Amino acid sequence: MSKPGLACEVTGVWTQYGQTVIHRDLNLEVRTGEVMAMVGGSGSGKTTLLRHIVGLTRPSRGEIKLFGVNLAQLDREAARQARNRFGMLFQQGALFSALTVYENIAFPLRELRQFDEEAIHLLVMHKLALVELEPKHAWLLPAQLSGGMVKRVALARALALEPELLVLDEPTAGLDPDRSEKFVRLIKSLRKQLGLTVIFVTHDLDTLVGLTDRVAVLADQRIIASCSLPELANVAHPFAQNFFKGVSERLERTDKWKIAPTH
Amino acid sequence: MADAEFRVEEMPDGTKRVILTGAWSLRGVQNNFADLRDHLAAFFGNPFTHWDLSAVEQLDSAAAVMLWMGWGKHRDQRMLLRPEHTALFDMLATLPAANSFAAGRGSVMALLRIMWDKYLEFFDHLVGFLNLVGSLLLELFYIMKHPRNIPFKEISANFYKGGVQALPVTALVSFMIGIAMGYLMALQLRKFGADIFIVNIIGLAGIRELGPILMAIIVAGRSGSAMTAQIGVMRVTEEIDALSTMGISRTLRLILPKVIGLSLAAPLLAFWTSAWAILGGMLAAKMQLGIGMEFFLDYLPRVVVPVSLTLAVFKGLTFGVLVTLIACHFGMRIKPNTESLSASTTSSVVTAITTVILVDAVFAIVTRSIGL
Repeated sequence: MSKPGLACEVTGVWTQYGQTVIHRDLNLEVRTGEVMAMVGGSGSGKTTLLRHIVGLTRPSRGEIKLFGVNLAQLDREAARQARNRFGMLFQQGALFSALTVYENIAFPLRELRQFDEEAIHLLVMHKLALVELEPKHAWLLPAQLSGGMVKRVALARALALEPELLVLDEPTAGLDPDRSEKFVRLIKSLRKQLGLTVIFVTHDLDTLVGLTDRVAVLADQRIIASCSLPELANVAHPFAQNFFKGVSERLERTDKWKIAPTH
Repeated sequence: MADAEFRVEEMPDGTKRVILTGAWSLRGVQNNFADLRDHLAAFFGNPFTHWDLSAVEQLDSAAAVMLWMGWGKHRDQRMLLRPEHTALFDMLATLPAANSFAAGRGSVMALLRIMWDKYLEFFDHLVGFLNLVGSLLLELFYIMKHPRNIPFKEISANFYKGGVQALPVTALVSFMIGIAMGYLMALQLRKFGADIFIVNIIGLAGIRELGPILMAIIVAGRSGSAMTAQIGVMRVTEEIDALSTMGISRTLRLILPKVIGLSLAAPLLAFWTSAWAILGGMLAAKMQLGIGMEFFLDYLPRVVVPVSLTLAVFKGLTFGVLVTLIACHFGMRIKPNTESLSASTTSSVVTAITTVILVDAVFAIVTRSIGL
């Protein structure tokens, strides 16, 4: 039985490619409604874990449950329905390059076969408005979009089916600081509006500090800590210590910002 | 979370009141908005129905859009909403309607327009092709003056990929066709008692036609498509731009080696293909007509004069150059999306094969008095 209040539950996961062990008995819990960041060095298996969570790949051993069910054990129709409960934002956007922005966002809605064209149009326009894009952008092709717009359209597509869980792979990679800050703000506001649970992977400390409630640190093939950012200070592992140095500077800065307007 | 449900109450004044309960959202796996819309259709049609959404646990954009469309895209005091849901409906009201993007199409003018565009596109291709040939010639002059810049490695690689690696498949295909032709012809010739002419037919057809044409078709399918896709992906991933910024001419490094490599390989391949076709025909002749292989080979040079071989080599060269040029031309036009990649690769192969067969017909007419 899975525990209530958990959006995602990873228990005893091992990932092995030949002799290389990527995850060794890894455990992780993500609570409903929280924003969980996964951090770790390059090649520590963050993206692999993310791909396990959304069911693109399967771990060698162990179990991953989303909303209390294991995707791998469901039959085709049930798995499709379960997959509609989460949306994934890929690092490069992964927009269908032959389809316009409109068609990209409409695609999952059409697959559902519950709406007529007029309703789909309204829903697509609604999603575009949510991610702060203009209606005229709907007729562009992905190749005509800037990096920031690609991310927004990909986010709109991920949100099309009103998911409960949003999985983001490097949401701000390749964006300039200004754009990435705006994108973080957008995700925060959407999270509040739509009541989302968010799991994301990032290398960008500003994104991390701006967005996350809790952070899971991936090192030595397992999660060495999953706690709030300030609590990272108490983790003895050298990677966590190093990492916390960068985070604490930024935390102080944001605290100052928070205090400043009060007087 | 309860599923989306509704019940209907009769009001004292005879109007109906639809009360929605549960979670009206796509998150409820059991919710099907197409069914719900059908069930609610009768109430949507009645302008006096009251709607009570105050007991709804959750209302997402999908449900809101379904209701909004049912209400005829407006909202008044008949609809009782929870305060947190009004913002969603207010937002829907501001969104542009579907017909504001309606494009004019289907008219005769539009059809003419499309035909005109196709016509212009043809000239665009022609100009692009001439540009390619022109820049290739310039590069050829350049490397003649600067022989140190000849990209020998790339030429050799292309020779190997487009020529040497194509040996087994061309041999197999032409051998089979040689056998098939040999058998068919043998039956016809026997009727007239003209068994010996099988040597003429197989020899001439194999060397003048089958060899070069089969070679060109197989090379277009194998190497032509590969070249188009390779250049296309290099364009998409900006590798070609990277080359240019290093001061390396893309024509010299990418296109010229392909053209030279395949032009060198094509005549040899054509010769090789002819040889296997004749071998196939020889086997058929031996089995069907009892014409011995030694006799076949003895008799062959008397009916197929050497100029036919020269012609075959020249044809092979022309076809090789054509296939490569067309492949590179379409590769350079690929836009960064999957649709364009597949369309251009298809166009490349189809155009190459069509052009080769067209040119072959012209060759056949022009050279009808040579060596026959």
